[in-house]
Amino acid sequence: MSLEEDLRRALRRESPAPGFAARVLERIERDGEPATQVRQHSGRTWRAVAASLTLTALLGGWAFTVHQRREGERAREQVLLAMRIAGEKVRYAQQEVRTIGSTD
Amino acid sequence: MTAIVPEALQFPTAFARAQSGDHDAFAELVGKHEAMVYSLAWNFFGDRSKAEEIAQDVFLQLYRHLESIESDSHLLFWLRQVTTRRCIDQLRRARFKIVSLEHAEDVAASPRVADPLLDRRLKAMVQELPELQRAVVTLRYQEDLDPSEICGIVGMPVNTVKSHLHRALQALRRKLEKHP
Amino acid sequence: MRKFIVALTLMLLAASPLAAQQINLDFPGLADRAEEVVDVTLDATMLRLAAKFLGKEGDEREIRDMINGLSGIYVRSYSFAKDGEYDRAQIERFRSQLGSTWKALVTVRSKTKDNVSIMADMRGERINGLVIIATEPREFTIVNIVGNIDIERLSRLEGEFGIPKISKDGRND
Repeated sequence: MSLEEDLRRALRRESPAPGFAARVLERIERDGEPATQVRQHSGRTWRAVAASLTLTALLGGWAFTVHQRREGERAREQVLLAMRIAGEKVRYAQQEVRTIGSTD
Repeated sequence: MTAIVPEALQFPTAFARAQSGDHDAFAELVGKHEAMVYSLAWNFFGDRSKAEEIAQDVFLQLYRHLESIESDSHLLFWLRQVTTRRCIDQLRRARFKIVSLEHAEDVAASPRVADPLLDRRLKAMVQELPELQRAVVTLRYQEDLDPSEICGIVGMPVNTVKSHLHRALQALRRKLEKHP
Repeated sequence: MRKFIVALTLMLLAASPLAAQQINLDFPGLADRAEEVVDVTLDATMLRLAAKFLGKEGDEREIRDMINGLSGIYVRSYSFAKDGEYDRAQIERFRSQLGSTWKALVTVRSKTKDNVSIMADMRGERINGLVIIATEPREFTIVNIVGNIDIERLSRLEGEFGIPKISKDGRND
């Protein structure tokens, strides 16, 4: 049997312990509703919401143009990436300083 | 005038219902994709509790970003990408922590076993690969993705993905030859 | 004598501009040899735009606060397939650009792990810019943050963010 076939078998999907979805929902309830998501209140169906969004788009009522939104999302990703890299290097340096300090 | 109705609105799938706030529909989505997400993390780390934690984090993140998902196929891609990148992030951060000698000994003492335990050995060997090779191998053989699909998930050029895959397979073959 | 002192003070002020130093982050030819490249170039305008798209809670909110008032964030990171693929002299040439106001805050040297230097452009007690240089045998990374940045807050970011949103066809936009 080839290595690739062995890998497919060895790395096949497995399910988490039963009740995983329930545990996720518990966490959602514990951690609260998402702050950034616009939630529709009861009484408005999803079709009505979607239709109004489509109409707004057709009328050009977005606060950002598609181009600006794309640029903004890209800039956000880049900021997050840069800060992640910078934070990682700073933490590493701090960790090394602490390690050296603890062995002095 | 005919209104153009986006794909997501034409079919009241669990995905569309979840986007409108239906928790049962979201649970259905979780059930549909939990094995995929969990297994990516499990095959990456070989630690079930860590895999469960990462999988929960990913679905929590999904819940918070559901409005930005545009279709079922986008959802699948998003889940694979987010899970893979979380695994890589966690491994990179853990790299700076001091590894206990006890853990190091456990990794080194992978048993030299015959075929019946080959799956477990292979998994352990995959988990010793550097993070990018590990991610590429897991996506290739767990999810059966080809390099052109993997490159979007890990954010690397396709030739880089192929290079990682090639080196990973070479490394695994060498280890198997050393410990038959 | 007083005129001489005033003139001297004016000369010194002119010699130490309050504006942030422009640093050249070009490394010709490296991107072609590198296996993986991270290139981030964000000036003040792009940072203000990015801030509008950052979330309102957790690390994204923290980052939104931190970048408020910055003039730029620049990252160049190159990973290579083999040791010795980049010339350390290029790193030293980069470092030599940093003027006398730049002070080393932390320097970590290791034979087996990352070498990291964190340098700050100090104007009195205030940090006017930050440079992080991290080198390994197969990778080097330079981060330049222009403006007043809180290093302690930077170190507290958890690093699990940065998951990019993707377009419908699966490409990063």
